[in-house]
Amino acid sequence: MKKSKWIKIIAAVAVAGLLIGGGIGAWMFFMPHRDVQKTTTDFKLTTTELVTEYLGDWQGSNDKYLAADGNSKVLEVTGTVARVSNDFSGRKVVLLQEKGQKAGVNCTFLHETDKQAAALTQGDVVTIKGVIRSGASFDADLDMYVHAVIEKSAVVQ
Amino acid sequence: MKKRTIILSTLMLFFSLGIFAQSAERYVTDKTHIKFFSTTPAEDIEAHNYSTTGTISTNGNFAFSVPMQGFEFEKSLMQKHFNQDKFLDTQQFPTGRLVGKISNIETIDFATPGTYDALIEGELTIRGVTNKIKETGQLTVGNNGLTANSVFNITLADYGVEFVKGKPSKNIAKTVEVTVLAEYVPQ
Repeated sequence: MKKSKWIKIIAAVAVAGLLIGGGIGAWMFFMPHRDVQKTTTDFKLTTTELVTEYLGDWQGSNDKYLAADGNSKVLEVTGTVARVSNDFSGRKVVLLQEKGQKAGVNCTFLHETDKQAAALTQGDVVTIKGVIRSGASFDADLDMYVHAVIEKSAVVQ
Repeated sequence: MKKRTIILSTLMLFFSLGIFAQSAERYVTDKTHIKFFSTTPAEDIEAHNYSTTGTISTNGNFAFSVPMQGFEFEKSLMQKHFNQDKFLDTQQFPTGRLVGKISNIETIDFATPGTYDALIEGELTIRGVTNKIKETGQLTVGNNGLTANSVFNITLADYGVEFVKGKPSKNIAKTVEVTVLAEYVPQ
């Protein structure tokens, strides 16, 4: 094979490598966030089950539900609406908590699903899907029970 | 008669002591916004957390519990890096905390609406590493609650977060700005 042909082949491979590498790099850099609502649910449980599990074994529950890269487990949590409020970004936050329960589950909705939350009232029993950010615990510094947190939420129809 | 007076006086004394011995009034919040902001010639990066819980008492004691996986970035790759063990290791250390006291609490009148300067002294724990902080902020007393805000800088290396090579060392500032905003209601 002629030397010039080798050079052409090497150049073509190098260009293809650069394009593929650059494409992968750009895809990684601009990769969109995971769509939690389109992600398969990992666990279906009640607020009482989730809170009890965390209050019983906080570290074990973190190992079970939280992922190292932040893409933690997607849950469907069923419970009673105790409060509907807004956070500082204007998104709706629904607190699911049973009467007499030490802590509940704070579910932050998306701007796209806010209307679902706005339609809820205290006492409604509802199932909400979202990604867990932290579990319930007794916080000695706060001297109070802290709710579990679920974000990117929507009501399961 | 004398015995009755003594009993009455004793009861009144206990009643008065009871009032003065009441624990400080406490306020709680789960309506918060915590922002990290990093700026370098390469790029500006910010992350927002709206799911922090906090308390503050009229004796000046305050605390925040911050779910670290609640920080949201514009780019998902940055969010992944933030959570991974080389950076904040949020699976191992899921909660950050700020615990301290407003050292000039005597200058804040919780009965009179207005904005007061607050001197904050406490301990900030990130990634399991605790450092003392001394910062300033404002506390706004409203008719139905309080609003607290503060802006301060932290050095990432102080919390075991250090990049000596690669893209993060150019793109992430050594010192990042932290903004805290919290709206409290009486407990």
